[in-house]
Amino acid sequence: MLKFVTRRVAQLVPILFGVISVTFLIMYIIPGDPVLSLVGERYDDETIGRIREELGLNKPLPIQYVDYIGKVIRLDFGRSFVTGRPVIESIKEYFPRTLLLAFSSMLIAVVAGVIIGAISSLNRFKWLGRALMSFSLVGVSIPVFWLGLLLIYLFAIKLSILPPSGYGNGSLRYLILPAVTLSFASMATVARVSRASFLDIASEDFIRTARAKGLNEFVVFGKHLFRNALIPVITIVGTDFGSYLGGSVLTESIFGWPGLGRHIVQAILKRDFPVIQGAVLFMAVLFMLVNLMVDLSYGFIDPRIRVAGKEE
Amino acid sequence: MKKRIIELVVILVSLSLFQVSCTRDEPPPMLRMALQTEPSSLDPAYAVDYSSGLITSLIHSNLVRIDTEGKLCPDLARSWEISNDGKEYLFHLGSSRFANGKRVKSRDVLFSFKRLLSPSNLSPRWWVLAPLKGARAYHEKGEWDSGSVEVINDSTVALRLERATAHFLSLLSMPAAGIVCPGQMEAEERDYGRNPCGSGPWSLSEWVESERMILEPNGFYTGKKASIDGISFRFIPEAMTRIAEFEVGNLDILEIPHAELKRWRTAGLRLEKTEELRIVYIGFNTGKYPFNDRRVRRALNMAIDVEAVIAKILFGAGRRARGVVPPMLGGQERQSDIYRYNPQMAKSLLEEAGLGDGFSMEIWQRESPEGGRILECVQAYLGNIGVKVRLVTRDWSAFKQAVDHGTPDAFYLDWFADYPDAENFLAPLFHSSNAGGGGNRTGYKNHSVDSLIDFASSLPDNEKSLKLLLEAEEIVYGDAPWIFLWFPVRYEAVSGRLNGYTIPVIFNGQRFLNVSF
Repeated sequence: MLKFVTRRVAQLVPILFGVISVTFLIMYIIPGDPVLSLVGERYDDETIGRIREELGLNKPLPIQYVDYIGKVIRLDFGRSFVTGRPVIESIKEYFPRTLLLAFSSMLIAVVAGVIIGAISSLNRFKWLGRALMSFSLVGVSIPVFWLGLLLIYLFAIKLSILPPSGYGNGSLRYLILPAVTLSFASMATVARVSRASFLDIASEDFIRTARAKGLNEFVVFGKHLFRNALIPVITIVGTDFGSYLGGSVLTESIFGWPGLGRHIVQAILKRDFPVIQGAVLFMAVLFMLVNLMVDLSYGFIDPRIRVAGKEE
Repeated sequence: MKKRIIELVVILVSLSLFQVSCTRDEPPPMLRMALQTEPSSLDPAYAVDYSSGLITSLIHSNLVRIDTEGKLCPDLARSWEISNDGKEYLFHLGSSRFANGKRVKSRDVLFSFKRLLSPSNLSPRWWVLAPLKGARAYHEKGEWDSGSVEVINDSTVALRLERATAHFLSLLSMPAAGIVCPGQMEAEERDYGRNPCGSGPWSLSEWVESERMILEPNGFYTGKKASIDGISFRFIPEAMTRIAEFEVGNLDILEIPHAELKRWRTAGLRLEKTEELRIVYIGFNTGKYPFNDRRVRRALNMAIDVEAVIAKILFGAGRRARGVVPPMLGGQERQSDIYRYNPQMAKSLLEEAGLGDGFSMEIWQRESPEGGRILECVQAYLGNIGVKVRLVTRDWSAFKQAVDHGTPDAFYLDWFADYPDAENFLAPLFHSSNAGGGGNRTGYKNHSVDSLIDFASSLPDNEKSLKLLLEAEEIVYGDAPWIFLWFPVRYEAVSGRLNGYTIPVIFNGQRFLNVSF
């Protein structure tokens, strides 16, 4: 197990290096100039030149790259060009809010998705099963932006039961709409995958054996069917974690949620290189760690995978 | 059993929703506004964007300021005298105090102005004080001319200029010329922009990044006292979300996008409107064929029915621009209507220029739903005279870089006044020395226009100066480096509880001292 973990962690290093390099290069390839965001509408070329020099943007690209790699190795992500604030401080401040949103969405997606999947698998040939699957198809197709505005219109403007936007110091009523919006597409996917998985496992021999042993339906479902059907769901949730973080970019903008996603959007609009590079790198590391954890978690859920790992 | 569970779930959901709806707060005695973008700094030297300029001006006082109607009025200076040659200004300060209780003295003016111009501070707004004697030399080489800002005594300061500048007082009203507290500046250094201390009517009480900023009345402010407890600015990037916040009663003031105007006008809500000191235009790259030909530029002006676009897309919220100087600043009335919608004339002008078969061009715009709708109309109108238009959309940073480097054939843009003076609509936009990032993004160059602007700016007499500036405007209008579109009318919805609010004609004209609930 330890060998497996070590190998997987070692594999992350070249990926990380790739992420750092690509993020760095993209910043310089895409059009736009960070200095233009700092000087406003009227400026003179001399001031631009001096600010560029101050920020080190006048150095040749390879030197800037080497400087940047050196800083990253020392865990120095620099300061925002716009606010002058250390990037690491912003990440520390904004990330917990994005994490809160991502986990809440994940919770909603998994709980609601599995329930929908289970109900529709049990009602496979009935109208309820079909209706739930149609609902999940709609869920996968709805754009986050449109859904967010729709929920604001319904729950904030028409029903006046939830606030339209804001953070509200993380209170539940501010979290509901963005979390539901962010969870929607994933919830629909989880529902479809879990339905397929439930149907698949239900036709396995060991389920028939369990029933033949005389176990009641509750135990068959809870102990044998449910646990086994969860494996593909965990894969989906793990790989979808990136979409929670990515989706948070839009969701946070719509709902004025002060998380890392919105922070990145603002930084991109202003070409605030240190913030973009720092935040993207952070997200990439996180995404890789989550994938690693998903891989490791299979072993805990399905002993066969653990055994296979040992034999290897 | 099953029925019981369902009942329980229904009761719990109802209770939670009831609890949630009951927790909706009563509106506080604080003015609640929303900003699309968060200020990047509240330091006058670095406040370059709209949000930063707006709030910096509420926290800091200047020697003079602009009121809601765009008129110049005293601020820190009770009165001032200008020498006959227009090169010396003597300001008499009142007894204003900074938010930390310290009195504002002449030496604070010196400190603030020297700081703005300092070569080590790299303020992008140093040009605001460029007319001061020796300002350029100090900014470039660090050699300070002690005669430029002279502290006569604690409450009298003299400013001396390189040459008379008719709009100098207007420049002094800009956020960059705000007076900062030296003590606070030394204590905070680079963090001053987040912990400012000025002598304006408001001071910063709370700034939660990416969320909100709250201003409270400056207890030491010596002018009219505010009758509200504070101002809260929430940072909400999405227009639809801002509208929703207003509709549920969480905001007191909301700018209405033009596309929404029809709905809001019929909703029976309180709407305020004002013609802004702003112009919307399509600029040509005048150095590029065929836009280096005046006939082509004039033809394209005639090919668009601007009044119809105003009526259909803006729902009437604009006045067709027949020039570049807003009517409020003395422009417009004297202009003849040479670009009345006339596609036939446009076609014959193109034929005359050898482009009778039409041509293709790109018009660039920054991302904006309204800009997209407007340019689609422009595209259709120009298509009618055989000009094929391709619309190119970029985000602000990429757009600005391309336009400043002269990449696009033409670009859709607007210009907000920095200060209410005709000079601000001519010098930056059409003087050849400002080509590119200085504001003249079309690269327009006309020696007569340059001379007229230069001469007008050097006159101490504002009336004479305006007359010359309007002459320059007439030439610019005839040369058509732009498609002259409109002066927009700004609409804002105002909550029923708010009294005394009017939309300022310029971004820093409203100080919220006359508003009450």
